[in-house]
Parts: sequence; C-alpha cells; structure tokens
Amino acid sequence: MSTVTADSSRYGRFMTGLLRITLRLDTFIHTLYPTDFNPLYYTGGLSNLFLFILVLSGIFLFFYYEASLAAAFESVRYISDEVPYGGIIRGVHRYAADGFIVAILLHLFRNWFTDRHLFSRDNPWISGMFLLLFGGLIGFTGYQLVWDERAQVLTTMFLAMLRSIPLAGDGLAKIFMGGVGIGEGTLVRILFLHIVPASTLYVMLWWHYLRLRHPKVWPPGVWVLLVVGLVFLLAGVIPATSGQPATPAARPTSFPMDVFFMVPFWLLNWLSPGAVVVLGVLLFVGGLAVPYFSRRETAPQMGVRHAGVAQVIDGNCTGCELCYFDCPYNAIVMVPSPGPGLSKAAANRTLLAVILESRCVECGICIGACPFEALELPKFMERDVRIEIAQAVQA
Amino acid sequence: MTNPKIVGFVCDWSVELAPLLNGNRLRDLPNVYVIRVPCSGFVRPGWLEDALNQGAAGVFVTGCPYGDCLNREGNFLMRDRVDQQQRRLQRRRIDPARLAMFAHGLHDREAFMAEVRVFSDRLAAMAGGQATPAPATEPAPAGGSP
Repeated sequence: MSTVTADSSRYGRFMTGLLRITLRLDTFIHTLYPTDFNPLYYTGGLSNLFLFILVLSGIFLFFYYEASLAAAFESVRYISDEVPYGGIIRGVHRYAADGFIVAILLHLFRNWFTDRHLFSRDNPWISGMFLLLFGGLIGFTGYQLVWDERAQVLTTMFLAMLRSIPLAGDGLAKIFMGGVGIGEGTLVRILFLHIVPASTLYVMLWWHYLRLRHPKVWPPGVWVLLVVGLVFLLAGVIPATSGQPATPAARPTSFPMDVFFMVPFWLLNWLSPGAVVVLGVLLFVGGLAVPYFSRRETAPQMGVRHAGVAQVIDGNCTGCELCYFDCPYNAIVMVPSPGPGLSKAAANRTLLAVILESRCVECGICIGACPFEALELPKFMERDVRIEIAQAVQA
Repeated sequence: MTNPKIVGFVCDWSVELAPLLNGNRLRDLPNVYVIRVPCSGFVRPGWLEDALNQGAAGVFVTGCPYGDCLNREGNFLMRDRVDQQQRRLQRRRIDPARLAMFAHGLHDREAFMAEVRVFSDRLAAMAGGQATPAPATEPAPAGGSP
C-alpha cells in the first residue's frame, strides 16, 4: 500500500499511521492464528453472532418479564432465582450485549483505519452509524427494564438530558414517560423502546449488506463456539444481578458502572445534561461525516491509483454472469440483452452486464472474472498490462 | 538459465514495495519484474499463461492476507483462479509449479522476499541451472536500503 503514503495532508498522514498500526497488530495476531482465523477480520460476523445470541435470550426473557412499576423488579428476580436456568439466560443476555458493543466498536475502528469506508463504500458506514446509535439506545433501555435503583437514577438522568433540549425537551420527556411523571405506562414504553429498535437492527443490517456480495455474516466455527462458551461461562461465574428495588423515596447517589453503555451518564459527573446531549449529537453527526469531511473522496485526493470505473465492452459480452457473481459490491447487474453481441461467443446472448457506476470502487475484480475480454478499467486497460508483460519478458 | 525471468503481479494494497523496488524490478532479485495491479483479483488468468508462453520462466500473483482483502474477496477469487489455471496448464503439459499465488500484508516484506526467492530458486533448479545467490553473498546495492 505504498501508494497511500503519497497523501501528504496532515490528516492523510495521521490516517496512514493508524492504518500501519492496525496492520502491525494483524502481523502480531498472525503469529498466534492462521490469517483465516484472525478475529479482527470477523468483527462484523462477531457482532452479528452476539446480536443473534441477544435475540434468542431476549425472547426467553420476554416471556417472563412484566412491564409494570410494581411487578417489573419482582419478575426479574423470578427469572433469576426460580425459572430453571433463568439466571444463566439473563447473564447471557447481559454479557452478549457487552460483547456486541465491543465488537461493533472494533468493527467501526478497523474499517475506519483501513479505509474501507471511502468512495462508494459510504453506504455501509452510514447504516453502521445508525446501527451503533440504536445499539446504544437498546442497551440503555435494557438497564432500565430491571427497574432497580440504578434504573431509577438512569431514568432521572435521561429525563434531565431530554428536558435540556430546547423547545422540544419537555414534550419528549412527556412522550418518554407516557404522562407528566413516571407512571404505569412508562415501563411499557421502555419495553417497546427495547424490543422494536432491536428488531429494527435487522432492517438496518439489510441496508448494511445491500451493497455487499457474500457478506461475512458469521465468524469461523471455532470462534462461534468460543464466543458462545465464553458468554455462558461468564454468565455462570459472575451472574447478572439487580440492585435494590426502586422506590419513589430512594435517592441513591452512586451505582455500579457498566463501561459499555453508561459512558454518557458517567460524563454527567462533570458536564451538564445539555452538554452531554450536544456532545452525543456532535459525535453522531461527525461520525456520519467521516467518509466526506476528510476531502479524501476521490482516488487522486487519497493518493491511490485511479483506474476509472469499470466499463462493459458491449460487443464482447456473452451474458455469462461471471462478473455479476464475483463483484464484491453488487455493482454489476444483468439485464435482458437488447441485441446480439459482435463476437462469435456473444452472438446468442440473452443477458448483458451493466455497471452501476455509483457502486464501483475501481478494484478490477470483474476484469479478472471475465474470460471474454468484455470488461476494462479505462485507465488501466488490458493493452497496458500486455505491454508491461512484453517488457517483463524481453531482455 | 541461471536467472529465470519471473513476472509478478502485485496488488497495490498488499506488501509495501517501494523499499524493495529498483525501477520495475526487485532490487535483490533483478530477474523479477513487478506489475502493480489495483487488486489481485484484477489479474485475468489468461495473462498468466500468456506471460509463460512469451518466455517467462514463472509467474506469481501477490494479494493481501486471506480474509483481509481491501475489496473483501479479491485474493480468495484469485486463489481459486490460480488453482484452476494450474490445472489448465497441466492439461497443456506446462509445469503448474511455474505459476504461484502469494498473500502478504503491508508489513510482510521479509516473508514476501523469502517466498519470491524460494520460487525463483525452484524455477532455476527446474531449468537445470544454479540457484540465485543468497542475499548475504550479494554485494550491497548502491545507495543501500532504507
């Protein structure tokens, strides 16, 4: 990737440094594992695995949970103490959630630092930011559902943040609570805000995978077994517990911290609720802008080869679909052929390959896939390669 | 043939070539001519056979470590295509060992050079010539390596 170092802006040099560190870490991991089993190559698959564990254990918990102020804490205690294996499933739900956040953050940083979000790959990045936002919201409402003292404090803090939003704040707080204060409707709403965004994650995952052919949805089998085993082991050794039941009279001042979901609330130690809201919005909007604000949107600006969007040579295309199967970004579609091709092989074609230019990243994989010389990268054509081969074999 | 002519297709994103190159050839192995490609999957298997037919003793393709292709699948696809091309060469009575697929990351310069050297030595042995000299016995290149 020596070409990348041509990017001489300060941001470019910084990102190149991060890239080199990331790949140096891979070199270290490859002393422990074969490259196919490097867990950092499967952070997306691991996130999906954690999400799957969360959905299964969540369905189990949903059967026993009662969303009312009087019964919520008791129903959680009932799950933990009296339902067979209920405590284990609750622990699995907790630790898989922590693993989910860790895995998606690793996924985010790895794909950021290795430049896998640039050019036409911004679509997975944007959907990924929404997945992260919703993942955080689901984790937060999950802690509230237990309705112990911590949940009560969290709700108070969250309401303070909502109310700090100008104009809309009071209305939002009212909508969140289902009335002017915390009442019987509140936990129903929180349960809704836990389960529906979790289902929405799968809609966003469809968006996330939309431009990817053969996405690596699952990690290798041994990693699946290790992760499932680790989650169950943690759930058995350190059971997930509740604090004291929430009462209107209780005014706790501290609670057990969960580093994966509680960071915004931890910041309230130093910042006003309004500042935390502003910080969260800035992080999210900044995250959405990452593929664009660096002005490294085109290949020349990034200092890499600009080979041009792949082009189909109409006369040679036989409609064999090989490029369509191999394009990693779903950038090639097959359409009914408007007429026969010019070459002998293309005379009886029924299909024609068409490039969706907005999805093409100029990698050239379709050129290698095509045995009929029907695809070219405009600025690095087959002719150029053949000239280079001729130079290589003479002398 | 003591210095078998070798053509190497190397992905832009795999091993860092700038410190290894002298023009288009590897500094330590001047018999290896390097063609940079945007992704290892860009290489059309027919080109590999053409290079062999035009007089190259061996051809190799280098991609990123398996699982880490910037374009997600290029090196896996290329590995399959090289396997397929080797079977095709065998049917045409061309030694498939003259074609090879390597996978090395940005920082794997030593491993890359070692693998290319082994490939070159094997081709030289196949041709009945001598192996290329080991790096320690070579005179230091002018200017030195960074």
